[in-house]
Amino acid sequence: MSKHSALNRFGRSSNPAFTRGFQDNVGSLPLSERMTLDGAVNKTGILLSLCFGGAFIGWNIPALAVPGAIIGFILAMVTIFRSKEKAGSTAPLYALAQGIFLGGITLMYENAFDGIAIQAIGLTFGILASLLLCYKSGYIKPTENFRLMIVAGIGGILILYLASFVMSFFGGGLSLLSPTNGSLMSIGLSFGIVCFASLSLVLDFDFIEEGAEKGLPKYMEWYGAFSLMITLIWLYLEILRLLAKMRSR
Amino acid sequence: MNTIIFSVLAIFSLYVFFKLGKVKASSKQLNRNNRINRFGNRNNDESNIIEGESEEVKDENDN
Repeated sequence: MSKHSALNRFGRSSNPAFTRGFQDNVGSLPLSERMTLDGAVNKTGILLSLCFGGAFIGWNIPALAVPGAIIGFILAMVTIFRSKEKAGSTAPLYALAQGIFLGGITLMYENAFDGIAIQAIGLTFGILASLLLCYKSGYIKPTENFRLMIVAGIGGILILYLASFVMSFFGGGLSLLSPTNGSLMSIGLSFGIVCFASLSLVLDFDFIEEGAEKGLPKYMEWYGAFSLMITLIWLYLEILRLLAKMRSR
Repeated sequence: MNTIIFSVLAIFSLYVFFKLGKVKASSKQLNRNNRINRFGNRNNDESNIIEGESEEVKDENDN
């Protein structure tokens, strides 16, 4: 009997769960249709500009903040689960909608804590640049274990948010998550969440770097920029919350 | 004063992001064996399957 009889008889697996979707395309596209680092960074710039534009609208018309959040959430779900190929049209709309939401919520925080918005913006971009530097230089190396740790942490945070959301229907959410809770425990929790959100950026950088290296289709530039935007928006909101807690002390 | 410091930090960080983002990561980062393999197809040369002619294995009982 042959040593590799199963392989000889059935050939290599064509199960999509094993081929992971992109394998057929990897490296087989013409150069002009492949994802590049330049393209992903430029598209992140476009999304950031749209987000700032949306924030200007949300700041001036705060009533649009909640519809902006809902539309942004729906667009994010559609982009992630339904059509990565259409990220070129859904990601800019997502950035605009989330910008409107961020503008409204930032105004709310700014009214309560003077000067908090510019501090949160500065810290968010500061973390973005410093982690990019650490990633590019090879100081932080994302591995499978690193990814597992981040995914597990984000799962835990998601459960905490969901529990708080459900509890809010029965009187009040978790006080630990309240921006006005200045206890050390609450600040420590927010700091931990900011750390997880920051380290998620490293996974986004690695995704874009590997996508460009493997020559994924061009639309993945939009998808990479979109995933970076999701993390940046989450990080900004968590930094706002952390600063508000520290000011409440 | 705080506003100025954080504004400068934000602008400088964005400048660093747009400049550094377009530069390929260092070889220390890219040439690792423990990189996350999202799209498969990596390390084909280190595959456990040996390519080539398959060989018949004789059963000892046949002798």
